[in-house]
Amino acid sequence: MSFPGRIISRISLYLPRLGLSALILCLVSGLVLAFYYRPMGNVFQNVEEITTLVPYGWFFRQLHYSAGQVFVILMLLHTLDHFFRRRYRIYALGEWISLIVSLALCFYTLFTGFILKADQEGVFAGRIFMNIIETLPVAGGAIARLFIVPGNSFFFLPYLYHSFFLPLLIIYLMRGHIREWFPNERFLLSGGIGLSLYALFVSPRIDIPPDASVAVVEGPWFFLGIQSLLKVLPSFLAGLVIPGLFIGCILVLPAAGPALRALSFNERIIRIGETGLYCLLIISICLYAFLTLRAAIWGP
Amino acid sequence: MERRGFIKKGLQWAASLLGASFLAYPAFSFMTFRKATKKRIVFHPEDQAGAVTFKEGVYLIREPNEIFALSAQCTHLGCTLNYDAVSGRFACPCHGSVFTLSGKRISGPARKDLYRVPLTKTASGDIEAVLEVG
Ligand code: FES
Repeated sequence: MSFPGRIISRISLYLPRLGLSALILCLVSGLVLAFYYRPMGNVFQNVEEITTLVPYGWFFRQLHYSAGQVFVILMLLHTLDHFFRRRYRIYALGEWISLIVSLALCFYTLFTGFILKADQEGVFAGRIFMNIIETLPVAGGAIARLFIVPGNSFFFLPYLYHSFFLPLLIIYLMRGHIREWFPNERFLLSGGIGLSLYALFVSPRIDIPPDASVAVVEGPWFFLGIQSLLKVLPSFLAGLVIPGLFIGCILVLPAAGPALRALSFNERIIRIGETGLYCLLIISICLYAFLTLRAAIWGP
Repeated sequence: MERRGFIKKGLQWAASLLGASFLAYPAFSFMTFRKATKKRIVFHPEDQAGAVTFKEGVYLIREPNEIFALSAQCTHLGCTLNYDAVSGRFACPCHGSVFTLSGKRISGPARKDLYRVPLTKTASGDIEAVLEVG
């Protein structure tokens, strides 16, 4: 194997192991935080107390934040790595679907964590999320209430998802993968040292109280693109249809070839169909990355 | 024989679907139930001094011949609006919708005007705004 090829395959092997080390640290630090965090009452004050009053609260908060981010980013890179090398072809459709769904749920976990900070951006993100789901026809209002409700228990359901449903579901969906890529002590140690150093030396951003008046409020980095779309497109389209179509296309990607074959199209059409879908997805990923970068650099 | 097997399978499917929805519907109703609540926001006489006062999600606006209240939630996706005293307008920090002082939409992705919150005056001079939550 050539030199760059060797490095790439090394990285491909390291990514998921480092990611799982981060997941373990994220779960442990989350468990510690759960002893003080309360999703009811004045949640903003509770988070501020964790950061400034409770011994080592700032450390565990940063460790939890960075471990969660690193885990999801590494999982995303790992998925993109398989996607770009067209390795989805080696997966059974069911397994591919459960892995992609688990990645989407990972992002949802990050997002609920973003809401649970209970500062201004967290509260606004929660409201935007709720109002977008409400745009679903027929039962939008009721479906939104499965995820988040306005009023005193605004943070309760995101909390329930963040610390109970989602971790269980993600670990369940990834169980085979976790067995395959479970990190050894070396990975755990290096992940632990790296993330602890980050938590020690990088302090959390200053949280803005929910009632403050701020000119521009953004969102979590992975939703910056959607935030830009929300400015120009109807919420139903930008918040539900476009992301839904994108995820749907990724989910059916391994089935495109076999489905066309089952409909007894000739090989050339099958190849064009499958590659077409693949290229469409690459274009959408690039467009989304561009929107995100644009919003991050020049503001939303 | 084959057709009978097919029908049997179909019936089995229909029965289990029916059974599941018997359980799913009550569960869905339970999980999505919400008691409508009202939130009272009281503006004491000292809160009413300025032309525009913000309290707990409501803007109280005093014009020469009228006092009214607007919900501070943007009608696009619910962020809290900021009042810009220089232009005398409300601006949304999330996607940039802009509204006039009387709540009319000027620009941005929001489609509706701001919601007017009903007010009641008490004998002690307080003004009470009642906001429906949920
Ligand atoms: S929430 Fe105000 S413009 Fe979108």
